Amino acid sequence: MNRMNHLPTLKIDPAQKLSFKYKGKTFYGVKGDTIATALFANRVRIFSRSLKYHRPRGLYSLDGESANTLMQVDGVPNVRCENTLLKEGMVVEEQNVKGSAENDLLGFLDQLDFLMPAGFYYNVMHKPAKLWPIAMKHIRKAAGIGKTNPEFKMPGKFDEIFLNADVCVIGGGPAGMSAAITAAKKGLRVILMESRPWLGGCFEFRSKAYQNGMPLYERADQLSKEVASLENIRVFTHASVVGTYNNNLVTGFQTGKEKDAFTERYIEIRARSIVVATGCTERPLIFENNERPGVMQAGCALRLVKTYGQLPGKKAVFSIGHDFGLETALELHDLGLAIDCIADIREDGQDPGLLKRIADQNILLLKGWVAVNAHGRKKVKAVSLATLDGTVTRRFPCDLLVASAGMTPLTGPITLSQGKIKYDTHTGLFLPDALPEKMHAAGRVLGLEDPMAIEASGKLAGLKTAFDCENCSILDMGQAKKDLEKLPGPVRGTKLVTAPVKGRKSFICFDEDVTIKNIKQAIDKGFDVPELIKRFTAAGLGPGQGGIPGHNLPLFTAKYQALPDISIKPTNVRPPLIPTLISTYAGAGHQMLKITPMDEMQRSDGGVFRNIGVWQRARYFSDDFSCKKEIENVRTNVGMLDASTLGKFRIFGPDAVKALQRVYVSDMTKLKEGRIKYSAMCTDDGCVIDDGVVVKLGENDYYFTTSTARAGQTAEWIRYHTRYDGWNFAIVNLTDAMGVINISGPNARKVLQKVADIDISNEAFGFSEYKEFMIRETVPVRAMRLGFVGELSYELHVPSSYMQSVWMMVKEAGREFSIQNFGVEAQNVLRMEKGHIILGSESEQRTNLLDLGLGFLWDREKAHAKTVGAVALKQAENDQTRLKLVGFKMENNAPAPKDGALIVDTKIRGYVCTARNSFSLNEAVGMALVEAPLSTIGTRLEIFEDECGDKRIYGKVVEMPFYDPSGLRMKM
Amino acid sequence: MALIITCPVCGKRNGYEFRYGGEDKGPRPDEAGLTPESLCDYVHMNKCVAGVQKEWWCHKDGCGSWFAIFRDTVTNLERPVRAENHQEAGRS
Repeated sequence: MNRMNHLPTLKIDPAQKLSFKYKGKTFYGVKGDTIATALFANRVRIFSRSLKYHRPRGLYSLDGESANTLMQVDGVPNVRCENTLLKEGMVVEEQNVKGSAENDLLGFLDQLDFLMPAGFYYNVMHKPAKLWPIAMKHIRKAAGIGKTNPEFKMPGKFDEIFLNADVCVIGGGPAGMSAAITAAKKGLRVILMESRPWLGGCFEFRSKAYQNGMPLYERADQLSKEVASLENIRVFTHASVVGTYNNNLVTGFQTGKEKDAFTERYIEIRARSIVVATGCTERPLIFENNERPGVMQAGCALRLVKTYGQLPGKKAVFSIGHDFGLETALELHDLGLAIDCIADIREDGQDPGLLKRIADQNILLLKGWVAVNAHGRKKVKAVSLATLDGTVTRRFPCDLLVASAGMTPLTGPITLSQGKIKYDTHTGLFLPDALPEKMHAAGRVLGLEDPMAIEASGKLAGLKTAFDCENCSILDMGQAKKDLEKLPGPVRGTKLVTAPVKGRKSFICFDEDVTIKNIKQAIDKGFDVPELIKRFTAAGLGPGQGGIPGHNLPLFTAKYQALPDISIKPTNVRPPLIPTLISTYAGAGHQMLKITPMDEMQRSDGGVFRNIGVWQRARYFSDDFSCKKEIENVRTNVGMLDASTLGKFRIFGPDAVKALQRVYVSDMTKLKEGRIKYSAMCTDDGCVIDDGVVVKLGENDYYFTTSTARAGQTAEWIRYHTRYDGWNFAIVNLTDAMGVINISGPNARKVLQKVADIDISNEAFGFSEYKEFMIRETVPVRAMRLGFVGELSYELHVPSSYMQSVWMMVKEAGREFSIQNFGVEAQNVLRMEKGHIILGSESEQRTNLLDLGLGFLWDREKAHAKTVGAVALKQAENDQTRLKLVGFKMENNAPAPKDGALIVDTKIRGYVCTARNSFSLNEAVGMALVEAPLSTIGTRLEIFEDECGDKRIYGKVVEMPFYDPSGLRMKM
Repeated sequence: MALIITCPVCGKRNGYEFRYGGEDKGPRPDEAGLTPESLCDYVHMNKCVAGVQKEWWCHKDGCGSWFAIFRDTVTNLERPVRAENHQEAGRS
């Protein structure tokens, strides 16, 4: 189709052709087209089939209020074709058709509507009960439109931005732009959100005179240029607002342009003040076959020409209820559309100027008439018009019926944030009534139609936002309000809800195929308010988010029940107002993992990394995931481990020890300088949340470690439990500032002595002691002699920036002993053999200190400290109903069960925490949490493993530790 | 979560930066004479008011301090600290 390329309002470039595939054939659109307009230009009139009746559906609006034009594009189902710009090479397919949209084999369903009254699935198919599984299978098959392939991976890049602004203006039409300009000129930072790809709103495509002969579209251009010239307005076009929340939080998403780095991005805005200038959509006119392809809204017909350069039909009939409809008819007539008749719902009240022009053009205008039926099986071929009482009917052949009953203010952003709307008898619209704090409405959403008034209301809203931000005086606002009041206010609107029809094929909701007849059925059954009707009939539950039934539903409900006033409210809208891709909410999908200072070096040493909590850690150093070599090397020689992920803290100040007393179960006042104490923290329920060591560095100065997982919460935990005390202490998280190298094995001392500048013999640096010294006389380290893996072991705490140097020095020193890396898994086996626990492996949320056999850590003689967990532990002491930690060996040299295997008899009695085939002991050992009666030494444990069926494996409870029970090796 | 919370150190910040610390229930009770039941009540029982309550928040992604605010649980809007509670509601 040749486009009209002389119009100044065009947003397409007819010279730039874009090819795309539709139903396997190649078609061409032009740059600037949406997928829907490109298809329309290629004479596609039937875009899809409806959900329930498989009725043909076509282009009805251009802003995506209905599911009519949802299609599968490049494998993505349910793409909103009216809102998606055409790109070169797109592959477009129809949805919900058997055959094609043109010839759908399920089209006969339309004749079976009498079998499917409102809520039929609730009424039939459940008796007899046997019927339901059969019916369910078919309903499931029929339900939903579009198909997803589970293997499908969403292409594109997704992003998110979080913005702060003084003012957020929702809607980039004349009112929104005026508000933004006004606020910006008051020095405020403004964000302007517009859902179309350009600014201009209802001005941008209209030729109606604004002032001094200037058409509206030129005024739109003027305003958008002014917006662009103001540096403190940030404009987001093609960006829909999907949610507003209290505290002026606005969420939305933006579709990327060709050169943008994102396909779609999530936008979250916190503003001090908000302007809602969302304008109106048209309220659909309800009559028989009101959604036949060829029936479209006035704005859609006009924008097809003015924006996309294509006439919507050849021979048109109009059935409208507002001056905008008359204006559209005249504009389209001027551009060459033949109009046989305009039926205006209103008997009077039309703009005299428009009436004169219609008379001048010899167009037949029927006042007080309305469309009652669109004829034609697949597309409109003729239309019947009738008087409002339905007594006189006339039939006109045509291929286009422009139908629109009135307007629907887009109040979604207002009601979402708890604002109220109310039916206004003058305009026949639901208008904003009570707005939330610091939210203001402007423009057509207030029912205004006069261009000057629309702008003036925007200006007033802009000043109100400035007032919210303390940048504007009441006087200024008063003046703007007076200016607005001088201009024409909202015009009287038509109250007509439906044409005089019975409504068997009069659709109030296109997406869910709900007719007027269905609504009547629902009301007759007692579902008499829109919220109930919506749920019973599904009206408004479709992808269009209630865009089509919108305000028609409450109006019709009130009319059918002959309510004296329209107190009935439209159904609640909920975010997202516009369907949003899950990928957009998911965002960029960053892999947010921390790496230790040794990451690179361990990788080059062949480390096999795993994500463990927030960290990436070297778990293995060979393909042998049993880690035999690593383990044996530590037991017989010397190994080194990067333990930098440990939580590390300094706490100091006059009340530091009080704080430690509060959270640690041990008595920290007994701790001597230079000594290390192993202890644990509990919750108020006595459950263990953390274990680690505490070192007294000096008076009122302590250094302590926490488990890796707790590093993030520990400072918060200590401050929380001391929040009422007003104690004077400071806590510093050194987790990332310090790295940790663990040197373990019988030869550990020999290696460390080569680089340490002090005597580290057993006499000088004994077990459980703390020293500070220099490595190679350059790097200061904090050294602890611990025995987590059960061997002679040193833990060097090194400033992160020195970690690589110290690591290399130790490695160099250890070369003559063939020092080897060991990873997290080897450490896990080594410590398990020693009976040392790892919280989270040997404990779960309910496991308390006593269950783990760590009761010896608990110092009961410090009641004054109000230790967290102490009271609960006292109670738990005599509790025999708890799971206890035990060590076990496997019977008959059986291999170790999997971690998590269940301990059973006739019931589940516990589970295996960690179990491994121990190379050091030459047998399988493990730890398990079992019910107290099973915890005595010698008890036989029956173990159930996944998929073992009736077979059981058996172990026996034994003393722990398994390895070196006397603990000589770590003290040697 | 559409909260905006005023941290006494950092000022008004996005609610995502904070961790909720529960209703304000006063200082930890003394251990002397404390039964497990009364401790359990202190730790776990809440008033769950629909209206303004005093509650604790931690600015976990900011300065790290714990402080109390008054919040209307119905609207999620922060309410100014009432004069008589001003001292208690200050920084810990």
